[in-house]
Amino acid sequence: MKKLSIIAVLVLAVVAWSCSDVRREPGRVYMPDMAYSRAYESYAPHDTLASQGIFYNAKPVPGTIKRGELFPFPLEKDKQGDTANYVASKKIVNPLPVLTPDQFKEAERLYLVNCGICHGAKLDGAGPLHKRSDGTDGPYAAQPAILLGNPTYENMPEGQMFYSVTYGKNQMGSYASQLSTTQRWMVIHYIKAKQAEAKGGSASGGAKADSTAKK
Amino acid sequence: MIDHRPIAKRALLSVLLISLLSIGNKLAAQDGATLFQNNCGTCHRVDKDLTGPALKGIEDRVKDKKLLHAWIRNNQAVLASGDKYFTDLYAKWSKTPMNVFPNLTDGEIDAILKYIREYKAPVASTTGGEAGPADGKMGESDHAILYGVLTLILAVIALIMLTVNSNLKKLADDKEGVPAHEPIPFYRNKTYITILTLILFVIGGFYVVKGAIGLGRYKDYEPEQPIYYSHKVHAGTNQINCLYCHGGAWESKQASIPSVNVCMNCHQTINEYTGAPIYKADGTEVNGTEEIRKIYKAAGWDPAKKQYTGEEKPIEWVKIHNLPDHVYFNHSQHVRAGKVQCQTCHGEITNMHEVKQFAELSMAWCVNCHRETKVDFNDDKGNGNKFYSIYEKYHDEIKAKKRDSVTVSDIGGLECQKCHY
Repeated sequence: MKKLSIIAVLVLAVVAWSCSDVRREPGRVYMPDMAYSRAYESYAPHDTLASQGIFYNAKPVPGTIKRGELFPFPLEKDKQGDTANYVASKKIVNPLPVLTPDQFKEAERLYLVNCGICHGAKLDGAGPLHKRSDGTDGPYAAQPAILLGNPTYENMPEGQMFYSVTYGKNQMGSYASQLSTTQRWMVIHYIKAKQAEAKGGSASGGAKADSTAKK
Repeated sequence: MIDHRPIAKRALLSVLLISLLSIGNKLAAQDGATLFQNNCGTCHRVDKDLTGPALKGIEDRVKDKKLLHAWIRNNQAVLASGDKYFTDLYAKWSKTPMNVFPNLTDGEIDAILKYIREYKAPVASTTGGEAGPADGKMGESDHAILYGVLTLILAVIALIMLTVNSNLKKLADDKEGVPAHEPIPFYRNKTYITILTLILFVIGGFYVVKGAIGLGRYKDYEPEQPIYYSHKVHAGTNQINCLYCHGGAWESKQASIPSVNVCMNCHQTINEYTGAPIYKADGTEVNGTEEIRKIYKAAGWDPAKKQYTGEEKPIEWVKIHNLPDHVYFNHSQHVRAGKVQCQTCHGEITNMHEVKQFAELSMAWCVNCHRETKVDFNDDKGNGNKFYSIYEKYHDEIKAKKRDSVTVSDIGGLECQKCHY
């Protein structure tokens, strides 16, 4: 009888072990002083720094531009109910020269990662978030701008596109945190090149765009 | 040459535009849906408020057809004329200006209105009722219990057999008149004790070693996050690229956790969860809509007024993949130069509701991959990463057919100070 109970306890322990739950605790480490950084690491809480007299707000110093970056957009975001700067942005031209094939490839990548999800990989406003590939509606209710085939967007000046990408427009949010100034202008070059290509034109960047797009 | 470009471009554009518009007009008159999609859809939906109000029943709200046409074509003029309904509406929508559409003909506007009148909400798409993870879990533990019970039964049978055997032996001995020696109880039997000690030593040693190796390793670590964010819904069902949120993986050491404004890019519009039900590990269902509200709270977004209140609160996500401080790891080096897929180290993220650490992230795991992975070595035809052209010896060896590929370890991927310094 004694044997039986010992074996039963052992077996039950094994069973209990095998159906243990999700691992919610990370566990321990050998040498904490080598595992955990004393210097400030990304995403470490920084609310105690102020009490140590260290100024830290995780933001770049206002007015600074990173090396190799274009100058920032000269227009501010419109106040609610105002469109003055949105209209004024039409006059601003793309400061980037026509993209080289390598840059075009990079711009295409940026477009597919950041824009294609709504505006569609083919710029047809049917990204998987709005329209699934099987034809059903995705969760995104608003119709994303149809960049190819809608004269509104085909004729939209690049500066105004940049304004929308930088500050957001209607349901679209600002992409300034995901794309740098240069990257945003590159994506706009890409869209314009694709629009020109769809029209069969050889307008700016179209010819070059063709050769790279077919790779 | 360059001077002519803009003119040519403009001329071409306008010709194309005119031709497009003229074709468009003819087609569009019949197709209110397309017109709606092209002109109204970015801000309006028939059955849901977006940037602008839901348009269902617009003709009942604005009985004057002429006024409605005027509003659609040029809302600024109607506002200037001081129409009460539209002025109130404008104020209610926090003076968000509507675009003007001077080019829409009466026929086209009627087609749009007809489309709105006859609009029927599409039948809610159910992407195949997936069995909750709870079911799968149950199946697994069922097996475990089954095996446990089987082992128990076998152990009991073995015990009974042993007892029967010894009893039979005793009976047989009695019959043959062999003097039965006093039986020794099993806990004093030296053979038993030795065997038991050995077994305990092996089992104990196994778990001690296992525990010691497991120190500092977080495989399968699956912390509870402040918001139930499902990677399966976002990266799987909705096919959002990993780099959309974790853009840092391409450009920096950290893959970066997206700030809440990235969530709001989509969740300003997507304010409810309508997909297949999601279950937590304990079987309770996740209220997706409630989780989306948590984003609004963090972002300081008032979904009713459609405005930011400015009261933001950081979301304190729990970091899952932690490397010790004495290890250097850079995402961009692996993702961009090495072209390693995210899934190689993070597992089938597109199938995980809650993310858990997939890889061991131990040194052996790193080293093993560095030994096996071939680098994108360049060749004479222009393929591959041109950085590697400095490795002349390997190029010569490849040419001499002495080697066919170069692994990460060949170019110093196993040197200590590559990762420890």
